Amino acid sequence: MKKVKVAFFDFTCCEGCQLQVANMGETLLDVLDLIDVVEFREVMSEKSSTYDVAIVEGSITTHHAIERIKKIRKTAKVLIAFGSCAAIGGINGMKNNFDLTDIREYVYQKDAKHFDTIPTRAVHQVVPVDYFVPGCPVYIPEFVKVLKSALMGIAYNVPDNAVCVECKLNENECMYDKGIACMGPVTRAGCNSWCINNGNICYGCRGIVSNPAEKGQKDIMEKYNISLEWIENKINMYNKPRELGELKTNE
Amino acid sequence: MEKYVVLKKKDFNDFIAKLALMQTVVAPVKKGKKSFAFQEVTTGKEIALQYIPTILPPKKYFMPQQETIMKFNKAKFEWTPVLEYNEITIFGVHTCDLAGIQCLNMVFTNKPKDINYIVRKDKITIIGFECNAYCDEFASCAAMDNHIPNGGYDLFFTELNDSFIIHVNTLMGEKIIEEISLFSKANDDNLKELEELRTKKREIFKNELNTKHSDLKAVFENSFNSKVWKDIGAKCVACGNCTNVCPTCYCFDIKDEMNLDFNTGSRIRVWDSCQNEDFAKVAGGESFREERANRQKHRYMRKFNYPVDKFSRYFCTGCGRCTRTCMAQIKLKETVNALAEEKK
Ligand code: SF4
Ligand code: SF4
Ligand code: SF4
Ligand code: SF4
Ligand code: SF4
Repeated sequence: MKKVKVAFFDFTCCEGCQLQVANMGETLLDVLDLIDVVEFREVMSEKSSTYDVAIVEGSITTHHAIERIKKIRKTAKVLIAFGSCAAIGGINGMKNNFDLTDIREYVYQKDAKHFDTIPTRAVHQVVPVDYFVPGCPVYIPEFVKVLKSALMGIAYNVPDNAVCVECKLNENECMYDKGIACMGPVTRAGCNSWCINNGNICYGCRGIVSNPAEKGQKDIMEKYNISLEWIENKINMYNKPRELGELKTNE
Repeated sequence: MEKYVVLKKKDFNDFIAKLALMQTVVAPVKKGKKSFAFQEVTTGKEIALQYIPTILPPKKYFMPQQETIMKFNKAKFEWTPVLEYNEITIFGVHTCDLAGIQCLNMVFTNKPKDINYIVRKDKITIIGFECNAYCDEFASCAAMDNHIPNGGYDLFFTELNDSFIIHVNTLMGEKIIEEISLFSKANDDNLKELEELRTKKREIFKNELNTKHSDLKAVFENSFNSKVWKDIGAKCVACGNCTNVCPTCYCFDIKDEMNLDFNTGSRIRVWDSCQNEDFAKVAGGESFREERANRQKHRYMRKFNYPVDKFSRYFCTGCGRCTRTCMAQIKLKETVNALAEEKK
């Protein structure tokens, strides 16, 4: 099989998702048998201008980024939105809670006018995306699944059921039974309830299910005495850009 | 004649230790304040004898959450069936969960027979354990007639004052009693104590619902257009917890996983749930049960209506798990009572 040329690009993000790839260990070697990485800032310096698959990390937050992502889309046969910043806007979306001018001045102070900024967007809110790998950071087994799907040319759908489903299958004690609020009931599964398995709550990093029950959520909040503000903050922590258009997952 | 033996309480730890030498033993273990799970144990001390039904029922041993059922090789056009099983003893199964296993047995041994399930089931030894009082307020085992043992085990333990009395129900049970020589024959006093305990239980355990066991089906048959479903639908967040924890929910999905060599791979069976957004979706994205109210109605009908036609028994065991785990505080007892009330 001819090796597929793959390029990694980063936009506004912490590059933590690329780091997950660099830390993949043995699976990485198997993956490298199949692909040729032609651009990857985390671990190499050479640049290439031809590639088949573009793996894009980070959200789109400047005019310059819009031009760059359009160019990448033109060159790539397949574009993968990699990590929550790219797939749903992610943490960077918190910026959209504020007035753009105010927040720019707050962050860059007197140099603000030199820094271009636009409301944070997920990649698919700017160019079409073929595959989504949400997660902050990405969950490597899911990334491998997506990569396999991309190489086979078949669709990958991000699960549209709650993290609770995986959490139950892993037989964790529910956080709510410990008196701790958790975002599992509204967050898309696919991470194998990674955080809860390790003793943390679900922060909602993979995005909200397509059909959350607003009334039901309120009942939960009442039952466990959680404030609306807490839920809003937690949802907005990763999902603010969804106001600019829903997360699409190829369904 | 029925065979009963007795085990002194002081010998219990020894019994589990010896049993664990014969076979892998799984039993209820405390996981949190109110959470228990069946897990492997090697000593009696690890076991929580007084427990509220475990997060997942013992069904996880009969139909694992993830099960490889085939391996394939594309280049060779080869499909190889895979049978995954372990010889285990499940200790401490409550009567509600024994009923759950009986339901699953009916489903998977009926046509079409599920060979993987049948093989696995035959490798599992079941030791029941009686509830002398209610586990908690969510149980409705008396309403479902599952609070008193009704078969489905190899051995069945009931706790008496300073011993356990054990009903020996199968050859496998007999073998355990013989090999682990800690048991003595039950005498008349022991049998009398058991009798008294059961009488006392009839005082404690009373139908938790407002409807007679035999009338439940009619309540559900006449409830298709009930308003109750709308109310539940508005609350439900479709987290899927109620079905995953239910001892008689058996829906699954089949997935093919290709290995990174793009030639070999496996076919995997995973649990699925009618509460999940994608469950009733067909090609093209249409869903048969878009509304949560309809999904919940379907779940209840699969417990109290449809299986009575097909298997002549209710598929709710009364274990109360769905109520305990529900994110939206939807309570089975309240639902059934509300439906019955409406009909009156
Ligand atoms: S811990 Fe969180 S994800 Fe797990 S079942 Fe509870 S709410 Fe759901
Ligand atoms: S459990 Fe929640 S926060 Fe953790 S990886 Fe999964 S979706 Fe993200
Ligand atoms: S429907 Fe609820 S109470 Fe009935 S068997 Fe299932 S989990 Fe238990
Ligand atoms: S539901 Fe009944 S049989 Fe089951 S654990 Fe509770 S008391 Fe025991
Ligand atoms: S557990 Fe409750 S909220 Fe979750 S799917 Fe079942 S009924 Fe709905």
